[in-house]
Amino acid sequence: MRAVTWQGVNEVGVETVPDPTILNDHDVVLRVTRTTTCGSDLHLIGGYIPAMRTGDVIGHEFLGEVVEVGPGVRDRRVGDRVVVNSFVACGHCWYCRQELYSLCDNGNPDPGITEGLWGQSPGGCFGYSHAMGGFAGSHAEYVRVPYADVGTFVVPDEVSDDRALFASDAVSTGWMGADLAGTKPGDTVAVWGAGGVGQMAARAAMLLGAEQVHVIDRLPERLEQVRRHVGAEVIDYSTTDVMAELRERTGGRGPDVCIEAVGMEAHSTGVQGVYDQVKQQLRLQTDRPSAVREAILACRKGGSVFVLGVFAGPVDKFPLGAAMNKGLTLRGAQVHGQRYTPRILEHMARGELVTEHLATHVMPLEDAARGYRMFKDKEDGCVRAVFLPHG
Amino acid sequence: MDLNQLIGRATGLAGEAGAALLRQVQHVRLPGAGQASATDDPEVAARRWRVVTVLREPADVDAALPAPLTALGDRIEVRTTRAPGDRGTELAARFRGTPTEHEVGELRAALREAKALLEVGEVLRVDPQPHGERAATPQGAALEGAAKAAPREGVL
Repeated sequence: MRAVTWQGVNEVGVETVPDPTILNDHDVVLRVTRTTTCGSDLHLIGGYIPAMRTGDVIGHEFLGEVVEVGPGVRDRRVGDRVVVNSFVACGHCWYCRQELYSLCDNGNPDPGITEGLWGQSPGGCFGYSHAMGGFAGSHAEYVRVPYADVGTFVVPDEVSDDRALFASDAVSTGWMGADLAGTKPGDTVAVWGAGGVGQMAARAAMLLGAEQVHVIDRLPERLEQVRRHVGAEVIDYSTTDVMAELRERTGGRGPDVCIEAVGMEAHSTGVQGVYDQVKQQLRLQTDRPSAVREAILACRKGGSVFVLGVFAGPVDKFPLGAAMNKGLTLRGAQVHGQRYTPRILEHMARGELVTEHLATHVMPLEDAARGYRMFKDKEDGCVRAVFLPHG
Repeated sequence: MDLNQLIGRATGLAGEAGAALLRQVQHVRLPGAGQASATDDPEVAARRWRVVTVLREPADVDAALPAPLTALGDRIEVRTTRAPGDRGTELAARFRGTPTEHEVGELRAALREAKALLEVGEVLRVDPQPHGERAATPQGAALEGAAKAAPREGVL
């Protein structure tokens, strides 16, 4: 089959690889019909997560049709149209039973790598390096999905492929951030980052009852999407003092909930931005946390900060004093998608969650290198490149 | 030794180096970012109980200790304890005497597999995975060595 592979730092290509097979009783094999780029892929492609092997198939946000079913699968049938959560979770361990699916004890066959780095191992993720299990990713004609009864969800007839695709990760990640940050009716929520995840965090906050939602970015086309499709307020950080603007908009209090949806390659203005870029390029720090810093400083006293963007290692100039003295709740997670997907698909079916606008560039799988280049450089207003493995 | 043999030998060494690096990584502490407490000396570390918590009743675990653990036979001692807060059973094992690093690795892998068998009924496999062309580079071999060693390594 044809698949998109990592071929070295900032090099992506399409090549012929073997077809996947059923390896465990609870597996299915999917014929992939939609698979999309995600901002977190850029960290892998750029070499910031040094556990990629040349030839690894990438991609973790996808939808497809079941074509083969393992003997232990109960609830899926050949022909089911399913959306798949990006994290691999068994559904039986204590973490899964607490609905903390990305922390699954049995989802990463290579736990020694991340235990060494972080003290414990989270679950595995499709197409996200050998540190996260070494699973082949979804940018391919076919993909093997372990624990299929837990990680796949049948898409209702009234939800299109184009909409359901983003339930796989962007919407579930955004929803998780808004939910686990404790968003309540009447809250004011600020979201850093107007990519797919940030937009969906903002939309989820609104559906959870937030009274005001502000989204911060610098790209005009993304801010326009937030206004038009999400219905939230926007702040352009390249022209506006975000801290001052948020204070003014929130009666001097600051947002109740601050959600960071940017990750380890955050762009920022001024001296701080240059400082973080230089340190990261010299590998003196692994991650650039400028959006997290700002979220902590902007948050109201006693408020909540949720880190949705992907980070890998220690960060510099982390405002721990602000977090402690302001009594903040600081939380983060990879996506517990299985917890949210059923209700997300219901909202999608009712038209309360629209995502089609995120797919700004839809193209054949063979054009993946171009798609990733456009996505990385934000060329032509690219928010997400979506690949069609079967045309 | 011809060039291919030389490259093969270098690749093999890199794979071993990757596994060795992974073994050491849990002991590497960056200034200001690491462990604040004392570190066990190697003999104490080797003799510690290795423990996984399994979401099953203690009676279920005692009744059917999975094969990866029973395969280690009399070389290990095993104990089970009810975990607090309805978290199931703490399944602990350690070698009699002072084990080698290799034996501790075997025990880690056996405990992880035992937990998966008790909770899910199968051990998740990842090989073989579809992949594209891989050049035989030392870095690649080191990563493959680390990934191959990963089930036997970590902080367990």
